[in-house]
Amino acid sequence: MVNRPRWLSLATVAMTAALVLTACTSGATPAPPTAAPPTAAPATEAPATEAPASEAPASEAPASEAPATEAPATEAPASEAPSVEPTAAIGTPYPEPNEQPGPPQDISTAYPNYGGDVDCENGTFNGLPYSGSVKSITAPDPATVVFTLCAPDVAFLSKVAFSVFGINDADWLIEHAAAGDLSANMNGTGPYRMDQWQRGSEIDYSRFENYWGEPAAAATAVLRWITEPAARLQELTAGTTMGITNVGPTDFDSVKNNSELQLLEGGGLNTLYLGMNHDYAPWDNQDVRKALEIGIDRQRIVDLFMPPGSEVATHFTPCSIPFACEGDDWPDTDVETARQMITNAVGEAGITTTLAYRNVARGYLPLPVETATDFQAQLEAINIHATLDEQESGTFIGNANNGKLDGLFLLGWGADYPDVTNFLDYHFGSGCTSAFGQCYPEIYEPLTTGGQTADDAARAAAYAEANNAILDQVPMVAISHSGFANAYLAGVDGAQASPLSNELLFAMTPPDNGDTMVFTQNAEPIGLYCADETDGESLRACEQSMQSLYGFEVNGTATEPALATSCEPNEDLTVWTCSLREGVTFHNGATFEARDVITSFAAQWDQLSPLHVGNTGTFEYWGGLWGGELNPTAPCGIEGQPACEE
Amino acid sequence: MIRFIIRRLLLSIPVVLGVVVIVFLLIRVVPGDPCQAALQEKANPTTCFAFRERFGLNEALPIQFVIYFRDLLSGNLGESIRTGQPVTEILVQRMPTTIELTFYALVFAVVVGMTLGIVSAYRRNSSADVTTMMVANLGVSVPVFVLGLFLAFVFAVLLKDTPFALPPTGRLTAGTIPTPIYEAWGLKDLQGPPQTILEFIGNMYTVNAVLTLNSQLFIDSARHLILPAIALGTIPMAIIARMTRSSLLEVLGQDYIRTARAKGMSPRLVMFRHALRNALLPVVTVIGLSIGALLSGAVLTETIFGLTGVGKTIFESITGRDYIVIQGFAVIVAIIYVMVNLIVDISYAFLDPRVRLS
Repeated sequence: MVNRPRWLSLATVAMTAALVLTACTSGATPAPPTAAPPTAAPATEAPATEAPASEAPASEAPASEAPATEAPATEAPASEAPSVEPTAAIGTPYPEPNEQPGPPQDISTAYPNYGGDVDCENGTFNGLPYSGSVKSITAPDPATVVFTLCAPDVAFLSKVAFSVFGINDADWLIEHAAAGDLSANMNGTGPYRMDQWQRGSEIDYSRFENYWGEPAAAATAVLRWITEPAARLQELTAGTTMGITNVGPTDFDSVKNNSELQLLEGGGLNTLYLGMNHDYAPWDNQDVRKALEIGIDRQRIVDLFMPPGSEVATHFTPCSIPFACEGDDWPDTDVETARQMITNAVGEAGITTTLAYRNVARGYLPLPVETATDFQAQLEAINIHATLDEQESGTFIGNANNGKLDGLFLLGWGADYPDVTNFLDYHFGSGCTSAFGQCYPEIYEPLTTGGQTADDAARAAAYAEANNAILDQVPMVAISHSGFANAYLAGVDGAQASPLSNELLFAMTPPDNGDTMVFTQNAEPIGLYCADETDGESLRACEQSMQSLYGFEVNGTATEPALATSCEPNEDLTVWTCSLREGVTFHNGATFEARDVITSFAAQWDQLSPLHVGNTGTFEYWGGLWGGELNPTAPCGIEGQPACEE
Repeated sequence: MIRFIIRRLLLSIPVVLGVVVIVFLLIRVVPGDPCQAALQEKANPTTCFAFRERFGLNEALPIQFVIYFRDLLSGNLGESIRTGQPVTEILVQRMPTTIELTFYALVFAVVVGMTLGIVSAYRRNSSADVTTMMVANLGVSVPVFVLGLFLAFVFAVLLKDTPFALPPTGRLTAGTIPTPIYEAWGLKDLQGPPQTILEFIGNMYTVNAVLTLNSQLFIDSARHLILPAIALGTIPMAIIARMTRSSLLEVLGQDYIRTARAKGMSPRLVMFRHALRNALLPVVTVIGLSIGALLSGAVLTETIFGLTGVGKTIFESITGRDYIVIQGFAVIVAIIYVMVNLIVDISYAFLDPRVRLS
């Protein structure tokens, strides 16, 4: 027996105790509310426990009507309300639903008019608060589905074309939701049916012979994944795969110079911006923000740190999206003037602040540390002395979204669906992100107008006004839209570098008309029930097999009919009537009909539905795109519920 | 011997318990949380509250631990926060890749390392000794990712379209779907633990190929393992070579070796019958430690060669703050470590009678 020194045992015990204490204090128990920021704190900054939206009784001012910045909900289109929370009156517990849902089959039999009792005016359904923009989904006949919305939504088609709204066979969905294995299986209507997901290795598809449209070019397809760009390229060069995503920025030339390969550059639908919260000094000073607007050499950032194909942002939204680039371009860089403006605003000493970022490569920011370091140097040139503040990824996102970053920060956005509302409304709409502090009516009012009209001229005018207001108020500094490139064997026909990252294998032909198309992406899909997934790798896997009412054109962003032959709006864009395609069968042989559409949507929409099960159960995109779910469970920060975590 | 094993097993219980507690606490001390890691820019307090609620992360830490420990005792390792898969299912899918890779890497390390060590010791101070030790030094010095990418470049790109070409990534050629053992054996209706065990074994594709008599699968899976096994096994190989050499040289200087030589025994017999066996004790220790390290630490190799094993799974789980998977895998790896160390200790007794007597 070895005699260990006594101090070693004591030290071990002490360390364990310290660990327990640290974990307990940083763990599940929510932190107490933080102090208000130095300058006047608006409602958006207040922690939920201090000034929750629940100060307004649900019956008087439902959540959707009372966003933190006083904008009435009736003005807010669906995509403007991603962060609106269900509420309950103070002093009263969260209400119970009037009715509990029946068995899953009821969704499509006794419940054909889903959400028929939604009260958009008061924001209620089934006795519970409701903050969503979908009023009902009904099926007047098996070949027609009608979507009724609480507010006009010009981006409806782009939203329903998104792959998270892929349509499942109702019976299949009911069966697999009960079995709890939705995330491991797919049963779509697309040109490829999934044969097997070999976890850790690949997903195998084979051509669906009963596909309603043009059959897949190759008999089988294989979707693989390798996280390292160098290893992906090595596999392509070795010929063991035929296409790869996201060529490393330093490998562009080697691919271009290899006659056996082809490089396809794509414009990413993303935006990198330099953010600041206007509720904190000195960013509440418009002159300071104006100085930042012209003080950053954005071309230098693009040249040094972005892959080829990237471009300086002339507007917040990438110009490949319709109406994105109405209004004036971002002004040219003028460091001298910017420096003078800063000095005039705050004195010779300039501004001392932090530049927060996270050391995680994203599509819009491939080299975070290097880019942040260059920003620091550029800020110094305009008399802003920034200390780099690298934060853990989740902490950084939490701090930004909760409006807790009082310095500058580097953040970005990638498109969920290719419509200008997805970029502008989330950030600057009436329910704008707390990251920038207060919302600006000068910006969100025209955004509301633009989101509620299908008239091109009116939309263009509205977005021109909004973009010009962004230039005037400078809620952030738009930096760049980062590009990317995919690489393929030279013999691949129909190769794609999709701006939406939805490369479709059925439209590609392998070299020498081979039987199998092999494609390698960045990572393994997390799950295959894409209604409840957010990662691009899962969505790409789904898109090979699943179809929505509408889809996006191959290698493009325009919507085109898929399982619906058309979805026609009424005059004010609040009712969309979709005629369903006939003769469509699912991979399991079931016939496609309206019941499948209602069931697929209802599974995401209704939190009480027994079908509302997926991977995490978050159904993040439903909330993000349609504003809120039916029968929401009690949120944090209200009577009887834990405070929202800081 | 049985008492020794039982005593060691009992002693390992507090070790595993310690790992359970420390891992549970440690991953919660690290900044970040699963919701923000999963939803990134789209995370917001309301969504994250519901997310944490679903996974019981809003509960107080002691309650979370009690629930976790209760489940653990009943053999339930929980479900992944990221993928919703049961951790046992992930283990059945991922662990075989690592075990297979570790096995072949170890075979490479032991066979090549010991051969080099013996040759080096046998021909001490010769050019062969210098060369083998240079190889060993190089093996220790070259980082795995450099060696891995180099091997892949040489065998997959430079030697492409030659008989020496080897695949740079993946476990099998794209589109190859191995038949599960239970299906090949006509046991399609098999359920429960027997099916899980056969699935686990079947996910070691070379073993699957042997058991299902599928030569094509064996060749394919073996070809895919060669490069990662060499890349992973090179550092242990170099250590084993150096350890074997120094240990052998020490033993070769002992009196009983001189006596054996004086009795006229051939140098080869002296080496293999008397010297090598006694020189093996430290080598076995190194091998034992290597197994543990290989099983849990093949992150780089798995990343470069596109294999999804234990190391890569743990790494991804840490970056994704998938507490449940980290906890489950840490416990299993700890148990494997304990078991490997036990086997090493037992092997001492077989190699050295003095250990057995004590």
